Amino acid sequence: MEKVQLRDRADRISQISKRYMMEIILIIIVVVLIVTAPGFFTLGNILNIFRNVAITGVISFAMTMVIIGGEIDLSVGSSIALSAVITSTVTGKLAATGRMSMDSAVWIAMLIALLVGACIGLFNGFIRTKYNIPSFIATLAMLNVLYGVAAIISKGFPVTTLPNWYNWIGAGRFFNLIPVPALWLAIAFIFVYIIMNKTTLGREIYAVGGNPEAARLSGINVKFVKIIILMIVQIFAAFSGIILSAQVMSGSSTFGRGYEMEVIAAVIIGGTSLSGGIGKAWGTLIGIIFMGVINNGMTLFGVGDFEKYVVRGLLILGAVMLNTIQLQSLQKVKQ
Amino acid sequence: MSVLRTSNVTKRFPGTVALKDVSISFQSGKVNALVGKNGSGKSTLMKVINGAYNDFEGSLYIDDQEFRYQHPKQAFEAGIATVYQEMSLIPGLSVAENILLGRYRKNGPFIDWKATYQDAQDVLDDMGITLPVKEMVAHLSVWQCQVIEIAKAMSANPKVLILDEPTSALAQSETEMLFALIRRLVKKDVIVIYISHRLQELWEIADTCSVLRDGKYVGTIEMEGAKHADLLSLMFGDLQLKERPADVVALDEVVLEVKDFNREPKFMDINFKLYKGEVLGIAGMLGAGRTELLRAIFGADKPDSGAIFIDGEVVTNPSPVLMKNKGIAFVPEDRKQQGLVQILSIKSNLNHSSLDLISNGMFVDAKKETDFCRRQIKDLDINVPGEEFPMTSLSGGNQQKVVVGKWLNIDPKIVIFDEPSRGIDVNAKQQIFQIIWDLSRHGLSSIVVSSELEELLEICNRIIIMKDGRFVDEVNPDDLSVNELYALSMGGN
Repeated sequence: MEKVQLRDRADRISQISKRYMMEIILIIIVVVLIVTAPGFFTLGNILNIFRNVAITGVISFAMTMVIIGGEIDLSVGSSIALSAVITSTVTGKLAATGRMSMDSAVWIAMLIALLVGACIGLFNGFIRTKYNIPSFIATLAMLNVLYGVAAIISKGFPVTTLPNWYNWIGAGRFFNLIPVPALWLAIAFIFVYIIMNKTTLGREIYAVGGNPEAARLSGINVKFVKIIILMIVQIFAAFSGIILSAQVMSGSSTFGRGYEMEVIAAVIIGGTSLSGGIGKAWGTLIGIIFMGVINNGMTLFGVGDFEKYVVRGLLILGAVMLNTIQLQSLQKVKQ
Repeated sequence: MSVLRTSNVTKRFPGTVALKDVSISFQSGKVNALVGKNGSGKSTLMKVINGAYNDFEGSLYIDDQEFRYQHPKQAFEAGIATVYQEMSLIPGLSVAENILLGRYRKNGPFIDWKATYQDAQDVLDDMGITLPVKEMVAHLSVWQCQVIEIAKAMSANPKVLILDEPTSALAQSETEMLFALIRRLVKKDVIVIYISHRLQELWEIADTCSVLRDGKYVGTIEMEGAKHADLLSLMFGDLQLKERPADVVALDEVVLEVKDFNREPKFMDINFKLYKGEVLGIAGMLGAGRTELLRAIFGADKPDSGAIFIDGEVVTNPSPVLMKNKGIAFVPEDRKQQGLVQILSIKSNLNHSSLDLISNGMFVDAKKETDFCRRQIKDLDINVPGEEFPMTSLSGGNQQKVVVGKWLNIDPKIVIFDEPSRGIDVNAKQQIFQIIWDLSRHGLSSIVVSSELEELLEICNRIIIMKDGRFVDEVNPDDLSVNELYALSMGGN
């Protein structure tokens, strides 16, 4: 009798440890860093981690929806650049007309940047659904197009026509402590969490990603769902561009290079399946923190930039392998 | 002349006996057809012969020499070639590469392309077929792919050639060409075993026809001079049909009308009316265009022309979303690929069609969602380990009930069933029939398509017969027997 109970408990522990593998690994890494890395476990440093991950993290949450829906968007890196360039350039041009101050012009500029993001997403979605071109290819092409457009608009130079208050969006702190970008990250998390868990759109995204034909024959508007998720991720990417330009007070076509990989890595580390239908906003939050903690730890240890690439790449590979194994074992248990 | 003989072959699976004491012989120089209903053991027997199953009782002989191969590759090398229903070609390779896959002529470490192409050309010439050997397979038609499959089998100079439903993907004219090819092969002293669901073909191509029923060999008939009735009585025996409940009746009111529906070459000139409470069957052999018609009615595929009226009103631009909103439900033929999202939970699957009803348009009401799920689990008696378990944890019958339950959650007016009993056990089958009758009692109409025509006789009020894409007849199921219905669906004598 007791033996059976013990085995049950052992089974449950192994089940739980499988289910929460990434959380456990993250905790272990954090504990190791607390013990070994000088200055890791200070409030200032912890908050810094959140500030640093915010720019890619905001997009990661939206990308979670896209990947669960069975699509991908590789163009988000250049969308950051385009949005930053649009915001600063439009602000400068509007202010130059003399009709309004830079302080108010930047609002219109941000709105335009977000609208352009929505249009890019709509275009990606249209290409995907109308011509049945894989989003992997369509958005890879867009990645180049958008960089080019950003460079054309900015003529290849950083544009710095931005009002002073704007810096608050990317570098401000509440109570002189909590970084404002952490708030954007929290909002993005809550937004995606609510969509995926509480709304019909969320249910539809899971169904479409899990089996598009079955979803279509269940009377779900598959094309609409795909277009919506591709639009949301672009709007989020545009917003990330705003945060980044506010942080450095300029807009440049060199922004966001390679960020799409950081964005996607956090999603995959968080347990979302690249084949669609499986994933959670919570997992992505873990993935984002994981990436942030690793980067931060390396900085504290004085690891060089070149070495960081190697470590980060290998860690992503390891995490993805773990996740794949975990998904497979979970599916076996369920069957 | 050579002979393939099975002697007292018995093959057991956990819980069932798929083949019982089967002794049949197949001669070269003839096309030996092998027929039987679904589950009668045809494929099992083929897999015993071609080495896919090696743990059977009894023995196999070619010309009195016993053989038993451990796996299909060994059997293939020994001269037993099988052409399966599913194509196994690699689209990106050339015709020659596919025919000789893995058996290319070598010149040191390199492939001798000239000799390889010549080998493939020889195989095709020998079969009397003209195909460009260097062409990429992806550019060829289905019929040409089927020919390559056969050429692949023939390239090993087999003693036995097994053809499993070779015409299932072919159009009529292509089937003719395939038959001509088979007749030529027969002259080469090859033992041809031909498995088909399309009974009407057998009179054209087969010389003899051996019948399996419930895993037992029931006899062989010579096709020359044989009548449909002879074959059917061998296949079905004396089948007793269950009575349809008396209260399953159609009312006078027309709920759905389909006018001049066309989608060449799948279906042509389709006109029919569906009445309230009616269970309408569409009978026909495989490839008659039944599934394509149902999909078009549901808006999943676009027809070339024609109109649909629901409650007398014309439906413009039908799509699955629109048809769902009009109260039409569709239970597709392929439950796994088209009916369900396997990796998601039973609860979410049961709500995939009713998301509008469990939400305020945006936010899901979690309580309603659970209620909708539990209602169907209870009403349809779905056996589940838990609402949050994935679909893969359910048996075929219970999965089918989830597909049906998903649609009953929208309170449909019409339910379209495509092969509702495929791959589910006898009990689950009866339960699905009960559900269809219950729907009728509540004033819902159903359209049912099934390859098991005896099922249609059991469940339907009225049966339309479809052949080669056209409606050819309409019958009252009370007036005829299973054999008569099969004969009508096949056409001919």
